[in-house]
Amino acid sequence: MRHGRPRLEPVSHRVAVFGLCAGAALSASCQKRTDTGSDPKVTTLGSIEVTAQLVEIPDQFPPNNLYDYAFILKYRVLETHRGTVEGESILVGHYNPLKPRESVADERVKDIGGNLKKFQERDIHRMALEVPIDEYYMGPIINKYHEKEKGPLYWAVWTNRVVR
Amino acid sequence: MDRGISTHRVPTTMRTGGYLIVAVVLCRAAASRAGQATPDPAVAELAKEVRNKGWIAYSARSPRGDWDLFLMRPDGSDGRNITNTPDHGEAAPRFSPDGTKLLYRRLPKVAAISHDQWGFKGQLVLANADGSNPVVLGKDGEFPWASWSPDGRQIACLTKKGIEIVDLETRQVVRKMNRRGYYQQLFWSPDGKWFCGVTNHLGEDWTVGRMSVETGEINAVSSYQNCTPDWFPDSKRIIFSNRPANQEDKYGFTQLWMADGDGKNRRLVYGEDGRHIYGGLVSPDGAYVLFTSGPQDGSGADKAGAPMGIIRLADTPMITGPSRALRKLHPNTKDGPVLWLPMGWEPHWTYADVGGKK
Repeated sequence: MRHGRPRLEPVSHRVAVFGLCAGAALSASCQKRTDTGSDPKVTTLGSIEVTAQLVEIPDQFPPNNLYDYAFILKYRVLETHRGTVEGESILVGHYNPLKPRESVADERVKDIGGNLKKFQERDIHRMALEVPIDEYYMGPIINKYHEKEKGPLYWAVWTNRVVR
Repeated sequence: MDRGISTHRVPTTMRTGGYLIVAVVLCRAAASRAGQATPDPAVAELAKEVRNKGWIAYSARSPRGDWDLFLMRPDGSDGRNITNTPDHGEAAPRFSPDGTKLLYRRLPKVAAISHDQWGFKGQLVLANADGSNPVVLGKDGEFPWASWSPDGRQIACLTKKGIEIVDLETRQVVRKMNRRGYYQQLFWSPDGKWFCGVTNHLGEDWTVGRMSVETGEINAVSSYQNCTPDWFPDSKRIIFSNRPANQEDKYGFTQLWMADGDGKNRRLVYGEDGRHIYGGLVSPDGAYVLFTSGPQDGSGADKAGAPMGIIRLADTPMITGPSRALRKLHPNTKDGPVLWLPMGWEPHWTYADVGGKK
């Protein structure tokens, strides 16, 4: 049974409670959450599924204001979940890489996506892939590795970010 | 319908002179495309010369705002809408080699067309050259980038899985080839021996390439920022659009170029600073060049097309307008008239007497 106005806590008490809460929140935010990048799309689309580290972005991505393109990026394969890849290092074509994967699909390329927002060197991605790229994508391909590397070009169907 | 036909010359001799001359030329050039300048005898002569040389088919906006197909004489006369379909758009007409038929794409009623994607949009339609008796050949997206064979009995289609040669009567694929990186605007040479198209070749996208129909071997004709290639009637040379690197303007302007099929003798055909030249097509006798000239990259397909123009190949290389930067790169150009025609997109030219209803 309550009577009259609620009793106020002493100021020092309230400050302490606030401090504890803030500390807990800060601690939680600083704690690195891991994410394997697994989801129903990346584990089922394409014929190959890998977790791989983006080794290099060999050049600046051109703008997308008028022309679409696929850009070839170099990855170091960390784990192969489905299918097979040739070698530890692979070349993967990403469609319009300036766009977040969740909004990259368009009339030319319909069935691609993922949760990756931005491509950054050394990041790790979980990707559903197809190969060779020409059987799945018909459009301009920017391949800065053409003269240096002769492996097959993979096509990124689904690209999720991995946090380790 | 007044489609703004102009018979006025765009001045070309601008190598000397000061701001006054530049201003006058700018005004004349602008007025010329708008059909308001003083008639020029050289342009009138060119118009008279081409008047009876067959017909031009092109895509353009109808008064309703949708895309239809139009026919006109090469001097811009006798123009008429040959599809007139309020429920559809039509685009990219191509006459058969004998000029009796027309292939084009029927699109949903769209506001804009992508000049890089139209080839796999909508349905392929086969009609008589005057637009009558249109027959839809497939479903949406089927027979992508269809291009006539020299005898008009087959079409070559560019699909992800390869180049497919389709018999028009049975609509069966009679041959498949590796597409070797081609991704748009595939065209079969008049002698049947080659394809040209836009390809990823040797790591370079937007390369115009030539492929042997017999062996599938491919060579670059022009690398770096090229598109809309097409054949000269001799099957030995190719005309194409190219936006060269390192222009004074950072983005650069797209010009019309030509080269032998092996990439040799590559040279400017026509350009103008401030304009993007697309849809280059050589007349059936190889004497004239038809093109579109738009202020923005993309050939105007996303809007209402761009003014079309005809020049004599013998007058090329030609530069119009002040084009100070372009003239610096190409100091030895020639002068000649430009016959400006209505706004359009992806025009095609036959010397056959299309006739038909008017």
